[in-house]
Amino acid sequence: MNTFFYQLKRSPLAILGILIIFIWILIAIFGPSLMYYTHTHIDSEHQMVKPGVNRHLLGTDALGRDLLSRIVYGSRSILTVALLTSIVSTFLGIIFGFTAGYFGGRLDSLFLQTMNILMAIPPLVLSMVVLGILGDSTIFSLTLIVSITFIPATARVSRGVLLTEKNQEYVSAAHIRGESHLYVMFIEILPNTIGPIIVEATARFAYSIMMVASLGFLGVGLQPPTPDWGMMVIENKEIMTQAPWAILFPALAIASLVIAISIFSDFVSKVLIHE
Amino acid sequence: MSKNILQIEHLNIDFETMDGKFAAVNDVSFNLGYDQSIGIIGESGCGKSTLALALMGYVATNGTIAGKILFKGEDLLTKSDKELVKYRGNRIAMVFQNPESALNPALTIGAQLDEVGLYHQKLAKTEARKASIEALKMLNIGDPHGIVKRYPHQISGGIQQRVSIAMAILCRPDLMILDEPTTALDVTTEAVILDSLNNLREKLKMSLIYISHDMGVINKVSEQIVVMYNGEMVEKGPKHQIFDHPHHPYTRALINCMPRGGVVKEKTALNTIPGYVKRRGVAETGCPFVERCTKWNKTCEGLYGIREVGKDHIAACDRAYASDVPVKDLPLKTPKPKDATESTTDLLKIEELYKIYGKRRKIYAVNGINVSIKSKSVLGIVGESGCGKSTTAHMVSGLYEPTAGKIWFKGTNIAKAWNKRSLEILKEIQLIFQNPGRSLNPSHTVEQIIGRPMQILANVKTRPQRRQAIIKILKRVDLGAEYLSKKPRNLSGGEQQRVAIARALSINPNLVVCDEPTSALDVSVQASVLNLLNTLQSESEASYLFISHDLHVINYISDYIMVMYGGKICEYGKRDEVMEAPYHPYTEALLSAMPEVDPKKAPQAIALKEQLPDPSKKQQGCPFAGRCHKQVGEICAQEYPPLVRHSASHYQYCHIKY
Repeated sequence: MNTFFYQLKRSPLAILGILIIFIWILIAIFGPSLMYYTHTHIDSEHQMVKPGVNRHLLGTDALGRDLLSRIVYGSRSILTVALLTSIVSTFLGIIFGFTAGYFGGRLDSLFLQTMNILMAIPPLVLSMVVLGILGDSTIFSLTLIVSITFIPATARVSRGVLLTEKNQEYVSAAHIRGESHLYVMFIEILPNTIGPIIVEATARFAYSIMMVASLGFLGVGLQPPTPDWGMMVIENKEIMTQAPWAILFPALAIASLVIAISIFSDFVSKVLIHE
Repeated sequence: MSKNILQIEHLNIDFETMDGKFAAVNDVSFNLGYDQSIGIIGESGCGKSTLALALMGYVATNGTIAGKILFKGEDLLTKSDKELVKYRGNRIAMVFQNPESALNPALTIGAQLDEVGLYHQKLAKTEARKASIEALKMLNIGDPHGIVKRYPHQISGGIQQRVSIAMAILCRPDLMILDEPTTALDVTTEAVILDSLNNLREKLKMSLIYISHDMGVINKVSEQIVVMYNGEMVEKGPKHQIFDHPHHPYTRALINCMPRGGVVKEKTALNTIPGYVKRRGVAETGCPFVERCTKWNKTCEGLYGIREVGKDHIAACDRAYASDVPVKDLPLKTPKPKDATESTTDLLKIEELYKIYGKRRKIYAVNGINVSIKSKSVLGIVGESGCGKSTTAHMVSGLYEPTAGKIWFKGTNIAKAWNKRSLEILKEIQLIFQNPGRSLNPSHTVEQIIGRPMQILANVKTRPQRRQAIIKILKRVDLGAEYLSKKPRNLSGGEQQRVAIARALSINPNLVVCDEPTSALDVSVQASVLNLLNTLQSESEASYLFISHDLHVINYISDYIMVMYGGKICEYGKRDEVMEAPYHPYTEALLSAMPEVDPKKAPQAIALKEQLPDPSKKQQGCPFAGRCHKQVGEICAQEYPPLVRHSASHYQYCHIKY
């Protein structure tokens, strides 16, 4: 933890990244209750107005819905899905990767083959197909599907770090005092591999925001009336020339969050290298 | 031109780190004359390597350097990187500790050596190769034409190090810096390299800076000695004066803490230096050795400072023999009620034990050994790396399953791996690893580490009960209750090894297997760990199987000694029987190669030939035949030598007729 703050002091970019993430989290928690308009309110007199007109701080879309309030509401769902996804995919990845790497042999080659097959299908295509078949997406189904498509990556990372630790002498010491496999895997090895796994998890956090936004853009994300950033971009495609702000602001929201998390992820890995 | 090739004046190197600024090298000044050899000695963390790298113009990015380094009168610190190229490699050459990482694994030895000629001296290709071969010949490498075609991984560590020395002398440098070049090597190889270094120096008229933590090695190659402690030069003088009459208490302690020939556990405990090297902030002044000094008194602070104490001999303190401080007597070991070697019952019996690694490409690691460990005694196994001693220890402790053979322990055959052994057996045999930093889980606390074996093997179920027992065992290894919540990385190497020992002993095992427990530690710490192991062993009913490559250590701690070579036993017997003639030729070679601390009795090392047995082939004949200096004839290489019994407990495998 000391290293964290020490490195943070000499890295202004990381401070910026963490600040942006922090602001987005605050917006997601408190933002909706501070909004003048709700995200479903249709101001039929002010459609496609410029930012600042009639208390529409970021303007309105083709139906006259307040963009600011839609972006603020949208941050809730996207942050929830992204956070859950990175937690679930990391958790499952640890279990699969550790089991395969620890026992090795046939189990390991079976694991590697399965992961290769899964990786051969682009995650976006896979989730699009599955979500398309399932119909209306919910936070639950979205989280589950995106998590599954991320498992090959998280499981491989977990397996990799386990393999470097597996031959350490403290593991041998645990073996020759008769520890169970579960104890060795999760009490002895896991705490020493947590660094790279956390880095991967933060990277997955950024990826899943992109993924959820892309799925929304392609129309298989969260369904209306839940505002979804990706969906907002596609909805306002037709009015791009008259009201460019209707696309610009949701796109900026996505970009700022993804970039901030990526910066954070890089920073975490830098801190861990120094430790 | 001055008479000194190198003058270091008030050199300071500070490093900016997370915990503040600390001084790695603090106001060091000394001169090195032409054709002189100087040895720098000190424990790890004393700034030896930082100093050496600074001489080559390397300082890490968070470091600042001040002072003067005059090489032939020119200050290297004022030169730009471009100008330094003229010196690095050309005039000043450096040899590092680990040749494996200093050589490029993707290029042949020849290509790497030729580079020096091609780029530094602008020679033609054929000339460069000629020079390379000549350099290899100078280092007595047999078959240099064959070596240049090979890659680094195809040659042994000893040859690798000689190749990197050959690379260093290719430009005929005026100054060569060697940073612990033989620490990672076997004693017999070390002896050969030290010899050829001395020859080279005579031939090429170079000056030498030799860095080591081993007084014995420094003794062989240097005329002048600089003793460093915590970034400061605490003493400097001619070798004989330093060894005969050290002035600084640290120098004296360093010389005294090595287990030397003849020191055995029944007679005396080893001298130790309490504590360990702590980083010093830049602002701290005064004697850095205060906390660990046994000769400290109130007048110290005022008297501290470099001064002349003899001819060419300077020291920061002259209290090495001060008698105004009460000398604490070392707790002499209480003699055992009865001689351990009298015991006749075998605790563990190994019969025809084999270990062959790999399926397609086989490595014959252990080739049929028979030995037994008497109860309440210490069996020391000694041999060079690759002789199968660690493999044997790991098979006994259950890390590996033997390929063939039996290990009898309390009437049952335990020649199986850990996953097939009963908890009862796992409890009775404990292993202490070589490197405590790696054998303790870095994310567990000391309490977890020591408590866990108690919990699952000794049935101490409740936490308070365990805690009490842990505090008790910590006290036995000279650590306090405040260590309970510490993690290994906050402990020094010596403390880590104490925790590892506490873990092994917490459940009262019958047999403790020690796999080179002191070879990763500083000499001062090694002494205290050996003292501790020795006391613990004599207090308990346990037997120890002690593995080491260091014959002095083995001699100190063992009741019985077994000498191994090429996966076979060379010699076995009671300690005194093995350490005295008649020797097995290999034991004799090992003994002659041990670096001695006394400059007056430096035995001539027996130079062994470089024909190591190929572990991937099944042996015929004596494994040592290829290197033996006392070969009887053809028979050595063709027939496995017979057992020669010298007494009821002492035997060798050798063709020599005694």
